Amino acid sequence: MAINFGYTISKPRAINLDRNNLRRSDEILHEMPELQTCIGCGACTAVCTAGNLTEFNFRKVHTLVRRGEYQGAYEEMNKCMLCGKCRLVCPRGINTRGVVLLIKRKLGDL
Amino acid sequence: MNFFAPFCIPFIIGAAVMFLTLAGKWATWLWQLPHADKMRILRGLPTRHTLAAIWEVICESLLHRRIFRINPLLGYMHMSLAFGWFLLIAVGWIETVAYLGFRYVPLQAHVFFKYFSTGLAHKPVFDFLMDLLLLFVLSGVALAWFKRLRSRMLGLRRTTKHVWGDRLALSALWFIFPARLVAESTTCALYGGGSFLTGSLGEWLSAHVGLLPLMNLESAAWWFYSSCLGIFFVALPFSRYMHIFTEIPLIFLRHYGLRSGEKESSFDHFQIEACSRCGICIDPCQLQSVLNVHTVQSVYFLRDRRYGMLRRETADDCLMCGRCAERCPVGIDLNTLRLNSRDKIRNLPDERRYGYLTGLDRSSGEGKVGYFAGCMTLLTPRTLQAMERIFEAAGEEVWWADREGGVCCGRPLKLSGETDAARRMMHYNTELFRKHGITTLVTSCPICLKVFREDYDLKGVEILHHSEYILRLIRSGRICPEHAATRFTYHDPCELGRGSGIYDEPRAVIEAIGELLEPASTRENALCCGSSVANTAISDDGQLRIARSVCDELEATGAEVIVTACPLCKKALGRGTKEPVRDLAEIVAESLPRG
Repeated sequence: MAINFGYTISKPRAINLDRNNLRRSDEILHEMPELQTCIGCGACTAVCTAGNLTEFNFRKVHTLVRRGEYQGAYEEMNKCMLCGKCRLVCPRGINTRGVVLLIKRKLGDL
Repeated sequence: MNFFAPFCIPFIIGAAVMFLTLAGKWATWLWQLPHADKMRILRGLPTRHTLAAIWEVICESLLHRRIFRINPLLGYMHMSLAFGWFLLIAVGWIETVAYLGFRYVPLQAHVFFKYFSTGLAHKPVFDFLMDLLLLFVLSGVALAWFKRLRSRMLGLRRTTKHVWGDRLALSALWFIFPARLVAESTTCALYGGGSFLTGSLGEWLSAHVGLLPLMNLESAAWWFYSSCLGIFFVALPFSRYMHIFTEIPLIFLRHYGLRSGEKESSFDHFQIEACSRCGICIDPCQLQSVLNVHTVQSVYFLRDRRYGMLRRETADDCLMCGRCAERCPVGIDLNTLRLNSRDKIRNLPDERRYGYLTGLDRSSGEGKVGYFAGCMTLLTPRTLQAMERIFEAAGEEVWWADREGGVCCGRPLKLSGETDAARRMMHYNTELFRKHGITTLVTSCPICLKVFREDYDLKGVEILHHSEYILRLIRSGRICPEHAATRFTYHDPCELGRGSGIYDEPRAVIEAIGELLEPASTRENALCCGSSVANTAISDDGQLRIARSVCDELEATGAEVIVTACPLCKKALGRGTKEPVRDLAEIVAESLPRG
């Protein structure tokens, strides 16, 4: 019997970087180079106010955006309340709120 | 009597350009005001607000009282230029009337009266008065020159970097009064008259310079004086000197109740162009003093916005701590202007946003007193636990709005400029509070407190910061913390102190528990912890460096424990010191008798 711990993991899938258009991703990383220091620990997502209430996963969204997977990222980022808890817990000191605003700005007109 | 000479032409052109531009600007701004604001002005005109405004214009626009409080010498400099020039014009006008009686005299005859009055019998009283006033203004000009070399002597560590238009106007202004001195002296040298200043200089000139060179000099000096005035007047409406004529209507409109809001409005023009770029806002800015950022301070923000060259980086890189607004001698609402600039840049009305809030309610408990921890308090669980203990000790029935997770108050999003989306969160929380019928709302986060008080419609619900609430509990004897010999120092959170005017309550609570030691910058001048949610551009390193500089001041008090009343400040300061940093609620809970 499967026990429900309240967590799920994403289904494994392959992203073909050669097929994705990385222009916007490059622009984002150019403006916010510190995002490349992300170690993917997920602390931002663990404390996330919006993530606590709905299926919003900041780590997942910005990781996908960096890989050129822009579909739905703007709508997802709009779930963020910008409260700033993620920034306080980030072990790499990434300006996560700036990342949210930047991704919305770059992907807003998609 | 002839009241025209060719040298008057630059002055007449300058004055005409200035008055026409001013009239055009004022008319446009007033015309574009929303209807409600126009009605406010009409209703306010016949009331005592007008008298209060006139008094403030005398105190601030002429005497510059607020600058005197910052630095007496700087205050004197501004006063001598503004009040001195005003008196020169006013007494000059009386002088003309005394000489010529009440009759029409063209503007240039008032201004260049010394030149035109050579044929009339002299009135030494006016000669003396006008010389005295000229000396008064010249002393201000001398101080302004001196300020370029040694600004520290006038209380400014850093001064404004001016654009070339301002430099041109500034140079013209600096030459106006020395030019007037020389022009009037040459006339006195040729025709007599003048008092201790122009008269003495005139005597010296007539003794040392021949008649023909003196006549040439006189003509040249009046031409130069008139040209300086002309250049200054043409530059005035387009340069920093627009503040001279904008601060006056601003004061009146402010007294009639006009305010800037989260959306840009026509009233903003009055605030933006009332900035004299005096640069008093530069020194208090911690981004400047700690991080060496020299392009984002309020003076530059207002300048860039006025000339339509505002960049997003400039609007975003600000802690909105309010230290500059606290010292602004014009009283410009700097934070609100920056906020509505961000709104212009970023706000997108999206009706579908935050649809997931519908039907959400994770609150628990029941009581007339509601407690809203806020996002930041949820991240500092010791504050939350301390509040639980305090509520328990006081025997308070509490409704917990967000202990198991809730919706952000909306202020961080609002401060980023997405004001419409923030309204959706505010609406959600308001409905939640109303649904549970609370009469008191306590929060331990000053960010939430400020937005509850200013943007929420919570009539019938008393909104308290936990420092106010705890003090009430202590004063009414519902909790009895034990007094000990611990030495505390207190860090004023920006949103609580300058933002909400709460300075005394946290201090009273600390003094009930131990000894309070004040840091060097305190109350209205308190430093910002550097982690303000208002700044979405600052780097992690920048936040840390500001926190360290603040902690240095707090540690210098010799206190054992640093106390603050904001969970975000607590987090920020905790990174900058090895000393323990505690929330006010924690030290109260720890000092409650066990049992």
